[in-house]
Amino acid sequence: MNRTNSLITLLLISALGIGVTWLVQRSNAPQIAAEQRLRESRKLLDVLPVDAYDNQPLQQPLTLTDINLSHSQLLGGYRASKNGQPVAVLLRSQTQGYAGNIELLIAIDAKGRLLGVKTLEQNETPSLGGHIGDWPHGWLQAFSGKSLSQPPDAGWALKKDQGQFDQIAGATITSRAAINAIHDALRYFDEHRTALIGSAS
Amino acid sequence: MNTSATLSNSMMLVLLIGASDSVAGALATLLIFAVVMGVYGVCMAPLRSRLSSQSLLPVSLVLAATLTGCADIFLQRSAMQWHQLISLYVGLIGLQCVVLEHNGFFRQPVRAPLNLCGLFAVLMIVLAVLRELIGQGSIGHHLSEHWQGLILFSEGLHFATLAPGAFILLGLLLAARQAWTRPADLPEETHHP
Repeated sequence: MNRTNSLITLLLISALGIGVTWLVQRSNAPQIAAEQRLRESRKLLDVLPVDAYDNQPLQQPLTLTDINLSHSQLLGGYRASKNGQPVAVLLRSQTQGYAGNIELLIAIDAKGRLLGVKTLEQNETPSLGGHIGDWPHGWLQAFSGKSLSQPPDAGWALKKDQGQFDQIAGATITSRAAINAIHDALRYFDEHRTALIGSAS
Repeated sequence: MNTSATLSNSMMLVLLIGASDSVAGALATLLIFAVVMGVYGVCMAPLRSRLSSQSLLPVSLVLAATLTGCADIFLQRSAMQWHQLISLYVGLIGLQCVVLEHNGFFRQPVRAPLNLCGLFAVLMIVLAVLRELIGQGSIGHHLSEHWQGLILFSEGLHFATLAPGAFILLGLLLAARQAWTRPADLPEETHHP
């Protein structure tokens, strides 16, 4: 077998390989993208019970104004609704932790009560503040049901700071940052209630 | 088998250590490995006799890349949770095909390749079960979206899920095998005053 024949075989196989890969990629790309979107939204939205809403909150982000709060910054907001009635507002909040930024997803129901808090991103010390990234997390679950007035402003702090919340063991700065971010989000919700809930209420 | 062949077969160690941190990941890797190697072997068989040795390497490279690429896409499509566990290592399976081809692995009589692959599969599964059990206290977590896996205890020794822990476990397994196969009637050293 001479050189030319080898070269032709190589070229043919290369063309065939590229063609097949391209075809397979093209025919599967939409399903893969859909699956990825679904997984991402499920990961974000598991602060809410699955049957609590029937819209696609992530497809309709809210436009937020004055996103710089006193201890944190809002990155985005979503509205979950059922049968056209708003049931919850999800706020993505970023705050400064001990070792970097902490990103929290804070779910607030239409009456201003906390439904749940989930950590989306954190770089805290593993096995101390890093526990805040666990899901579900016992310390973050303790905030469910709280609101801006329950407890009052002074109570929104660690027991160490004369507030009424425990802290994550060995992680005062992380705990303080999380509490302040949650408090900020509740205050923001209260101040921008009509814009966040929408006209449907 | 010469030294360079042994050395490049140890490339399999990357897969063995990297993808065996959970049973689901190990099974997914083995599945892709078996499919890619099988199809690759079948496709290369008629080409090997017709191509010169210089053009054999590029052809095997292209073929392995195609097969691995397609397998990766199909895995993403059908089992995204598996893909997330092993996406790093899928490309290495293609590389493994090329390395084995270069060593003449596919030209040996059928028994030797099967032995190597069988050993690889058994080690992979044993390591994965041990690592997941020690590291996370569960077996088969992530295997399916609807089944949490067999959870035996909640807090594991995290070290076992990391690469150094895998090396230590592999070393212990090898030591156990040596102890097992060593003839029992070795003369013991004794001190005579």
